[in-house]
Amino acid sequence: MNLGDTKYRISEFWSEFRKERSGLVGLAILVLSLLVVIFEPAILPWKEANSKWRSIDYWQDNSASAPPAWTNAFTKLKAPVTVRLDDGEKEEAYLDGGVKLVTYTFDYHYTADKAPLDVIFHITGHGDIPFQVSVERPDGTTLDLGQRFEQGLAGQDIRISVDNDGREAAFTFIKNYESEGALEQYSGKSLRTNDILFNTAREGMAREFRPLKGNYKLMVKAMLLDPENSDVQKPYVVVTGSVSGLLGTDDSKRDLFSGLVAGLKWALLIGLLTSAISVLIGVMYGIISAYFGGTVDSVMQFIYQIVNSMPVLPVLIVISAIFKPNIWMLIAVMVLFFWTGSVMTVRSMALQIKEETYIEAAKALGAKKSRIIFKHMVPILIPYSFASMALSVPSAIVYESSVSLLGLGDATIVTWGQILHDAMQGAAILKGIWWWVLPPGLLIAIMGMTFAFLGFSMDKILHPKLKTR
Amino acid sequence: MYKWFALKRVLKGIFTYVIIIFIMSVLFNTVNEQTMRSNIEEQVRAETMRLKNMQPAAIQRFQQQRRDDLIHLYRLDRPFMERILYRTWNTLTFNFGKSTIIKSSRGEREVLTIVGEALPRSLILFTLAAVIEIIVGIILGLKKAQKPGGSLDRTTSLLTMIVYGMPTFWVAMILIMFFVYQLKIFPSAGMHSVPPPQGIMYFIDLLWHMTLPLLTLVVIGFWGISYVVRNIVLNILQEDYIMAARARGIPENKVLFGHTLRTAAPPLITMSVLSLLSSISGAIIFEGIFSWPGLGNLYWIAVQQNDIPVLMGDLAITVGIYQIGLILLDLTYGFMDPRIKVGGKA
Repeated sequence: MNLGDTKYRISEFWSEFRKERSGLVGLAILVLSLLVVIFEPAILPWKEANSKWRSIDYWQDNSASAPPAWTNAFTKLKAPVTVRLDDGEKEEAYLDGGVKLVTYTFDYHYTADKAPLDVIFHITGHGDIPFQVSVERPDGTTLDLGQRFEQGLAGQDIRISVDNDGREAAFTFIKNYESEGALEQYSGKSLRTNDILFNTAREGMAREFRPLKGNYKLMVKAMLLDPENSDVQKPYVVVTGSVSGLLGTDDSKRDLFSGLVAGLKWALLIGLLTSAISVLIGVMYGIISAYFGGTVDSVMQFIYQIVNSMPVLPVLIVISAIFKPNIWMLIAVMVLFFWTGSVMTVRSMALQIKEETYIEAAKALGAKKSRIIFKHMVPILIPYSFASMALSVPSAIVYESSVSLLGLGDATIVTWGQILHDAMQGAAILKGIWWWVLPPGLLIAIMGMTFAFLGFSMDKILHPKLKTR
Repeated sequence: MYKWFALKRVLKGIFTYVIIIFIMSVLFNTVNEQTMRSNIEEQVRAETMRLKNMQPAAIQRFQQQRRDDLIHLYRLDRPFMERILYRTWNTLTFNFGKSTIIKSSRGEREVLTIVGEALPRSLILFTLAAVIEIIVGIILGLKKAQKPGGSLDRTTSLLTMIVYGMPTFWVAMILIMFFVYQLKIFPSAGMHSVPPPQGIMYFIDLLWHMTLPLLTLVVIGFWGISYVVRNIVLNILQEDYIMAARARGIPENKVLFGHTLRTAAPPLITMSVLSLLSSISGAIIFEGIFSWPGLGNLYWIAVQQNDIPVLMGDLAITVGIYQIGLILLDLTYGFMDPRIKVGGKA
């Protein structure tokens, strides 16, 4: 079979395939997900979600179990969205005694109806530096929320959380407005700093939250005692809201959208690799079994029946529980079970082809067995296996997620099944954290649907008997 | 002769089962022997605790003696091949030994008792679901085949493809979230209320607990069946004798249920049993979501507690059930379609 021949067959197939609407939808989703995989670095909101999915530090500034940001559209009281402010305005001033004062000011426009959970300042520094964090409110008052003196810095990240460090300052602030009697009920410990910071200053402010909307200036000041040998860099502020990201966070503060995007490539890889390898093995197995016949056929059929009469998932679970395989091993084990899928169809078709006259002619011309198999039988039978290739992708994905759901997944990667496992562990169903349970399974289902669309459409074209007349 | 066909098929099934168990004994040999050795250590320690008034040297001699005895008893001192064959034989005679942590409801630690308790619970759930799926699937499939390409056919075919890759356990999670915690009309887990009610209420309580797991299996299951039924029936409807029957003025329903379904019976039965088997081999862990105390749930517990003997016993029984299903499949097929058994090759 030459190149032009192949081209003709593909164009013929395409003209048929174009008429299958569901097949086109499947193709579109597949192309879309491949694009997402290719442009993953640009799409991921949390760039290191792949490598730091299980790191606690990386996610610490998020809020735990926060609903998606768009849920604000359905609630009366708007919750603040978690934002990261990167573009601080830098001011430098020299004080007496050669001390350099560096101030970074971040503008935060506050419009929500609830107070943010926390405001967290981050800055990287070198040398001995006292830091001060303060906030200028829209009504003109400025609160000095905390000080920190760091010595011997060598490029570490300093994290100052207003919620923790600003309690005393917040208590001092309400003293200006509340009566003595009211103040007795409170102490620096019982107040939430941010409920005061974003509150309208008035009597009774400690009791009831009334948002003071407007522009807040979040400032971090660093005193460079020895400007020659010390500096500060990369300041940013995270305002932790009670809603976050496109799909919310889980109970370990991880951004679920990042996890799902990172899991897409593994789902595709697991599905496509497993089905492609196993279908190729199955086709070769069927052809060899049919072509050689006799004892070879009997032995091969016997092995086929043994493998075919093992229940896949239970065996897969026990193997994973005992050998703790990584993802590549798991794919290999799945291939060991999946190749049986296409053997019987291929074998019966190969038995027919074997008797064709052109095979006989090739034999008479002295063609070797390998030539007959690879030149005359494989090219005809491979296209028929495409449908079963597509149709076995979903089961590979579902099996992997089932194994992961039991907590036996590869701990170095993120897969949708593992996110569902974490959701089970975190009692997400009981707590009603739907944004943790719904999307991962839905994505598995959509992947399954995509390949079902492709597979059924190809099946219809390749096996015309199923056509609706 | 059907008798010989059946005998041959059963013997072949048993032979396959023996081989599978043998492969598993080889595969999981190391971990099995580790568990056995730690069991022996535990037993020796327990026996030493019971001894009193003995010299340290005597105690040590006693421990060594007991350890050697037990190792000899479990044949851990024999050559590799013999150990494997011994373990294969033990598994085949359902001699799984004792669990390490998990106990049966009466507190026993025999693996066979634990697995035996779970088995009927799984069977009742899966067979009931399969029966409902098949009934719904056949009715829907016939309707689809009557008007191929019609609106019903097209929408249900689309839905079939949509649920094709849907994980059963996830559907279970969603249904629990909605029906149990939102609407609060079904219990969240288990098989009975605690304490279980008596008399007729016992079965009503069981049904009430079973509704949601059944719903999950059926909602996922019947689409595929109806699609296959449609394809089988569609082929038969184009046969000449169906046209002849219609031409004779036989009512359409009788043509469908009498003539068509009778011819379609063998492949339909195959497909029904296969769908039951595929849910055992693919969806069994969804029991864990409902805490339905069957074989699938046992996998969850055994994996979490790292209870190797229970895991092995559970696997051996599941493989056995699967094997029995396959044998029954061929036997009924041979019974329904006489051509199969004449050929002798199933």
